[in-house]
Amino acid sequence: MSVISRPWNRLSLAGKIILPLFLLLIALTVLLLAGWQLGLIPAVIELLAEVVRSNIDIFRFILTATLTLLITIPVAFVIIYMEMKVIAFLAGRIGPNRVGPWGTLSSVFHGFKVLAKEDFTPTGADAAVFTVAPIITYLSSVLTLLVIPFAPGLVGLDMNIGLLYFFAVSGLTVVGLLTAGWSSFNKYSLLGGLRAAAQIVSYELPLLLAPVGIIMLAGTLSLNQIVIQQSGWFWDWYVFQQPIAFIVFFIAAAAEGNRTPFDLTEADSEIVAGFATEYSGMRFGFFFFAEYVNVFILSALTVVLFFGGWNAPIDPRPILEFFRIGSLTPAIDVSSMGIWLLWVLAIGVPLLVLLIALPLWLLKSGWSFLKSLVVAFVLFNVMAIAAVTIWAFLSFEVVVGLFWFIVKTFTFVFIFVWMRGTLPRVRIDQLMGFAWKWLVEIALLNVFVTAGAILLVQELARQ
Amino acid sequence: MTTDRGTVRSLDDPNIWVDTPATIFDAVPPYPPRTEREAEFYHLRDGEMLLNLGPQHPSTHGVLRIVLKVDGERVTDLDPVLGYLHRGVEKICENGDWHHAISNCDPLEYVASMFSEAMPVLSAEKLLDLQIPRRAEYIRVLCWELNRIASHGLFIGWLALDLGGLTPLLYGFIERDRIVEMLASLTGQRMLFNYLRIGGVNRDLNHDFLSRLGDWMSKAAVELENETRLLNENEIFVRRTKGMGVLDRDTALRLCVTGPNLRAAGVPYDVRRAHPYSVYPELDFDIPTRDTGDSYARYLLRVDEIRESIRIIDQVLHEMPDGPIMAKIPRMIRIPPGRAFISVESPRGQYSCYAMSDGSDQPFRLRIHDPSYFTLQAVGHLMPGNLIADSMAIMASLDPVMGGVDK
Amino acid sequence: MGLMSKVPGWGMAMGMVYTFKRFVQPKVTIQYPEERQDISPHHRGRLVLLYDEAGNLKCETCFQCAMACPIEIIDMGGVDTKNRMHVHWGPPEQYAERREESALRRSGRPVSDKAFAAWLPIDLGPLERILVANDYDPRRLLTVLEQSQATYGYLPVAALQHISHSTGAWYSEIYGIATSYPHLVFEPGRVAEIGLCRCAACSLAGGGKVRDALVEALGIDVGGVTPDGSVRFSAADCGGDNGGQPLVTLDGQRQPGMTPDKARDLAQKLRAKSAKAANA
Repeated sequence: MSVISRPWNRLSLAGKIILPLFLLLIALTVLLLAGWQLGLIPAVIELLAEVVRSNIDIFRFILTATLTLLITIPVAFVIIYMEMKVIAFLAGRIGPNRVGPWGTLSSVFHGFKVLAKEDFTPTGADAAVFTVAPIITYLSSVLTLLVIPFAPGLVGLDMNIGLLYFFAVSGLTVVGLLTAGWSSFNKYSLLGGLRAAAQIVSYELPLLLAPVGIIMLAGTLSLNQIVIQQSGWFWDWYVFQQPIAFIVFFIAAAAEGNRTPFDLTEADSEIVAGFATEYSGMRFGFFFFAEYVNVFILSALTVVLFFGGWNAPIDPRPILEFFRIGSLTPAIDVSSMGIWLLWVLAIGVPLLVLLIALPLWLLKSGWSFLKSLVVAFVLFNVMAIAAVTIWAFLSFEVVVGLFWFIVKTFTFVFIFVWMRGTLPRVRIDQLMGFAWKWLVEIALLNVFVTAGAILLVQELARQ
Repeated sequence: MTTDRGTVRSLDDPNIWVDTPATIFDAVPPYPPRTEREAEFYHLRDGEMLLNLGPQHPSTHGVLRIVLKVDGERVTDLDPVLGYLHRGVEKICENGDWHHAISNCDPLEYVASMFSEAMPVLSAEKLLDLQIPRRAEYIRVLCWELNRIASHGLFIGWLALDLGGLTPLLYGFIERDRIVEMLASLTGQRMLFNYLRIGGVNRDLNHDFLSRLGDWMSKAAVELENETRLLNENEIFVRRTKGMGVLDRDTALRLCVTGPNLRAAGVPYDVRRAHPYSVYPELDFDIPTRDTGDSYARYLLRVDEIRESIRIIDQVLHEMPDGPIMAKIPRMIRIPPGRAFISVESPRGQYSCYAMSDGSDQPFRLRIHDPSYFTLQAVGHLMPGNLIADSMAIMASLDPVMGGVDK
Repeated sequence: MGLMSKVPGWGMAMGMVYTFKRFVQPKVTIQYPEERQDISPHHRGRLVLLYDEAGNLKCETCFQCAMACPIEIIDMGGVDTKNRMHVHWGPPEQYAERREESALRRSGRPVSDKAFAAWLPIDLGPLERILVANDYDPRRLLTVLEQSQATYGYLPVAALQHISHSTGAWYSEIYGIATSYPHLVFEPGRVAEIGLCRCAACSLAGGGKVRDALVEALGIDVGGVTPDGSVRFSAADCGGDNGGQPLVTLDGQRQPGMTPDKARDLAQKLRAKSAKAANA
């Protein structure tokens, strides 16, 4: 078959990937068109829908698992990248900047590296528990994603005991860390696991007591409702009504997430890697995904409880009414365009690309026409994506809400990373002393003061 | 396969790891204790366990192995095991020339190696009763003080790293890099300089070195302020180091601890003032002393010493005389038989050498007393009673360098 | 300021403000290989041997550095100015094949090492004749070198020095020209000589077929050198006394019982040996 093998060998690696994909695409298109004509496609779709409907539970499970992975893994990658870059910048270095543009692919490759490492169980370790421990830790971090409101209408399940569910599930982390430390058959791991258990259990109390003030003010445990009640301007956010609770909650959240200054469970200058000393490969990866997802979730919870969740700092309606724009939904009714849509796509897109390419080719003397076409295509994509994003931003409040939520959450993630780069760590007895002797007292005090203030305001309102 | 010594299993045997008894991972040796101290150490009470802070550890300062006996998190006893970095330097020095000894003694205290080079150099000069040109003396003092600043800068970074802060280490390394590049333009190397010679120094000051030195001096004080600002008032840092590892005056004197560790305990002993050498009597500097003797005092004391060193460098630059940089000595040195004891003030303490020569061109014996070796004795007094985390911080605050401990 | 520093957490907050200031300041990282660090010219760096402006090596092989080195890592060898003594200084234990000569090495006595054959003195008579024939012209260097190789079998160092002294060309230039051509060799034994007699008696005894075999195996005819310079095919003279076999000599030694196949094998063996010696 040298007729195929010789030109095949001349292709570069990229060509060897793109050409089969291209041929596959053409084959699929032809098949689809043929199937549509013959009426096969609707029948197949109907069959598939029947299968899905009858096994809806399995499909829901698959969908949930996929969504979970799709959310948590990119978030973890982004936070890992942020951590590497931000700590480097604080220290006067640059951090990874070679792997992708500005080093963005480096955390992706860290993920691949973790997958590729040897996966072993140490001698004497309890194999079943050893394997299950990272799963428990990861699970306890990820299950909490169910109740966090990302945008108006974009919440997994709006339980009316959302906050309680959150704390209940995230408390399972202790089980994971403790079993990890115990089952590793290693004194360092045991020490690390015990320290971790002590730390997390000690800081559960301030973490739970601090939002009690918020619960009293909001009157509900549902996180979605709490966010809705903070809508308006930024002074409606609960941080201005409960500043002490915010400080207590933030410190407790740093300790819950095993972040510096409370990262003695993974203190690598003392007990190597704490409970995760004997872990390698994807099990270690699970622990660290769990930690970074935990950071994201705790930042998200801080934002939801104290900083208005998905609310924008300013209420845009008065400004829009002032400028008499009214409700802003530039609607493009795509279905009414008919065949013109095809013309726009077939002719308009290449025309726009050419329009951008021409000045580039004329003004940049070193560029060939092909190169300027490619650059123009990339620029066109960037502009199209920007245009679509702006349209979505203006038309759907989901997009606006999501945008503000992400901005605020990643601000807090940045603050967590900033603290990691700056502060030394506390000792275990200082840490527990701080929790039990100070934070719990302050949180309780906050609860009493809030309760008293609410009663007072109600009394005054009645009179 | 069965040999006359028993059964030997091939490494390809798939069952070789299955019935490995878990007791082989115990730190208690399988033979009965040979000394009283061993008996005391390896007798584990209820709830105690032996933890090996092994030679490979992210925060022992070099290859040091400490077997800790811990009760939960609290250290009750410890047994340091040295010798992982033993290179036989003193023996190698005996087999070569007096000149060869300079580059052999360089790696003893690799962080600030001018001081370890001074061992064979100063002892040979004392044995020969040699008069060093004044310019060479001033250049030596300049290099010594620069080395001291570099070493203390690194100490600050390491102390912060052992406590968990990642950034002060990098700030310290930025400073150390500038100083080390400066010394590279003078001596030719960044770390193991091989610069001091019997009778003077190797090369004279050059324009590159002086311009880098001037650049650095203009910013030195400000940079020092900036770096220590991150740690001096940091509540966590202060609470981790204040009151920790208190080395009181009597214990320190009994254990022959010298240098900043002794001065932090209240004893104003500095070799530059007590047994003056080189041109230190002509220079004006103070001996900073602190009373408390804890880790925080040792940290603050080393910061004070950096300031004093900057002062000394300033004076040296202003008073640098002209002249030759090497005394007139023959190429092959044959030192008449004799003994000499010299000591210098290194960043870690009193670094001394007892040299014996037998009239040939090879040293008969160079016995080098490294201050880190004696400081490590203090570890046995300071660590028990503290938590493991604190024990690492205490060792970092004592600033040992294992190159000199093991030689 | 004094009051504010009593607020718990103030030190930490100030620390974090300082690190944020460093966050926005320029970074100290040097992006190698696009940027290089400003290394002082006085840095010792990598140790190389220096050449002067004429292209001559400045190293005089005075052994001071080897004697002074505390770890005896410098390995060198050389001759004194009058070519009397070869001295080799170095750790002999490093190379297995020199281990048994270690005692001899440090003694300073002449070392019978094949590597130093090139420095042995030679008979300069033939060289003088070649130079005279070429009029001591440095522009005819290649011819001179080829004829020298034809005479001595290789290019001895002494020959190159004599050429340099006589023609005025720099030694390094001559050496450079010689190394550019693969058929010029510097060690003896790299070039083998096969001699064949073409007299009537030897041809009748089968010399013609032997000659054909050798021509085919070597690629050259009588009087030539193979392109890689390993085998010279010259004419020999049996003087009428060939004992019924064609006269074939190898480096002057008569090879009895030569048949075309054996001749071919011999030629290939010689070329292989030379190739191996060249690559060794």
